[in-house]
Amino acid sequence: MGVIGEKFKKNEVYVPDVLIAARAMNSGTELLKPLLVTSGAKAKGKVVLGTVKGDLHDIGKNLVRMMMEGKGLEVIDLGVDVPTEKFIETAIADNADIIACSALLTTTMMEMKNVVDKVNQSPLAGKVKIMIGGAPVTDNFRASIGADVYAPDAASAAEVALEICRG
Amino acid sequence: MNSYERIKAALSHKEADRVPVYPILCGITRKLVGATYKEWSTNAEICANAFIKSTELFDIDCVVTLIDLSVECDAWGQKLMYFENEAVRPDYSDCVVKSLEDYKKIIKTDYRKSKRMMMHMEVCQRLVKELKGKKPIIAFVFGPLGVLSMLRGQQDLFLDIYDDPDSVKAAVKEINETLKEYVAALCDTGVDAVMLDTLFASGSIMSKKMWIDLESEAVKELSEIISKKGCLTMVHNCGRNIYFDAQIEAMKPAAISFLYPPDDCEDFYECKRKYGDKTTLIGCVTPADATFGTDEEWDRQCIEQIDAMAEGGGFILATGCEYPANASFERAERMIEIAKTYGRYTNLKNKYAVLQA
Repeated sequence: MGVIGEKFKKNEVYVPDVLIAARAMNSGTELLKPLLVTSGAKAKGKVVLGTVKGDLHDIGKNLVRMMMEGKGLEVIDLGVDVPTEKFIETAIADNADIIACSALLTTTMMEMKNVVDKVNQSPLAGKVKIMIGGAPVTDNFRASIGADVYAPDAASAAEVALEICRG
Repeated sequence: MNSYERIKAALSHKEADRVPVYPILCGITRKLVGATYKEWSTNAEICANAFIKSTELFDIDCVVTLIDLSVECDAWGQKLMYFENEAVRPDYSDCVVKSLEDYKKIIKTDYRKSKRMMMHMEVCQRLVKELKGKKPIIAFVFGPLGVLSMLRGQQDLFLDIYDDPDSVKAAVKEINETLKEYVAALCDTGVDAVMLDTLFASGSIMSKKMWIDLESEAVKELSEIISKKGCLTMVHNCGRNIYFDAQIEAMKPAAISFLYPPDDCEDFYECKRKYGDKTTLIGCVTPADATFGTDEEWDRQCIEQIDAMAEGGGFILATGCEYPANASFERAERMIEIAKTYGRYTNLKNKYAVLQA
């Protein structure tokens, strides 16, 4: 998936190609899982991922999950329409490194600010990085709400997430 | 000049009195008549009145009837979800196409049996009655591949393109047979143009080759019908790296409404140089920026778009996609004011002269 991610960033492969590659990778991973467990292989970091409250779009989020898993990160995918509290509870319970929020609508992207504000008021403040992305989201928007990272595409999201987890 | 003359000049690649402007005010117009999103998107009278009100309150130069992307899929019985303050969307947990086998269900249907398509038709009729000759009216139609994605869900559709491309292509063809009659009827209402949304002709989704293989022939047929009816074809595509060349080849659109520079251009200046004589450019202010940032940043974006693409006409200042439905109107008003002041061609000519000197 690392190779696919690079090609995706360079517009050499596209969303349908990534989905097919991810499906193949998942089939392979299912076969290898028992061996990985017995060998004690560890994830390189942990990400809590979801589409924010009020937003039911999931393809972008799913691409991010596929790319992150391809980088060896553990992803806890909360799905779509995720309340802020759920992001925070899960990140605390699972000791996550990153909370990654997706939104496709201008009507729901402001929910990301809510996530940032609530994280800052929680025990996670300063301990977890908040990553945002989605079609209407920009780096200017990230700066305006105080999130840590904006990722313009799924491959970049995975790369930056890995960097964060590596410290 | 009135809006008709101004838009006509832009489409003829001539400089009007000023840059025409349209901040794609659609769902937000519901606020002008005190309607919920559900009321606005299901009641033709409310919807048309809201659009008309927007032309009375704001100095916009045209109207685009973008209600939402779930209008056409209603013809195949797609279950939809309605909200008070958000656009209608399909219930993807209950898609019409649930498996590869289900593609057989997608056959040509009678658009007149679809409440939503007929509602859109009535909106166009009402707008023509009230605005014809005052503001150009542009009917908005989702392309056949887009409609299929609403009946299947995008992710599954993309996998199906690999698993069973023939079934996908057959369904696109059947949908298009319906859309051909639908766009012909929309043209008959007296609208000036039909804007086809070709969402998938974009590097953020699929390759150019794949789009050409899946949809270009279908949208070509639609544009030929629109042309035969004496209307103009326009294109909307707010994806990244969109395929101007392939879409111009297929549809010869009078205008393209877009948000990001095309796949073969570094920036909007290059887009103007490369495509400015082939089609009118509509855009490309980031709509989400209407909801945050400073007024100055917003104004600067509007001015940058004018600087990059207005010279010689062939440009309409607009947001690159629909203006946020829950934002305030304030930034839209600022954009309109910038078109009316900074965007006056007498002012711009002086600026061009200085730049050339």
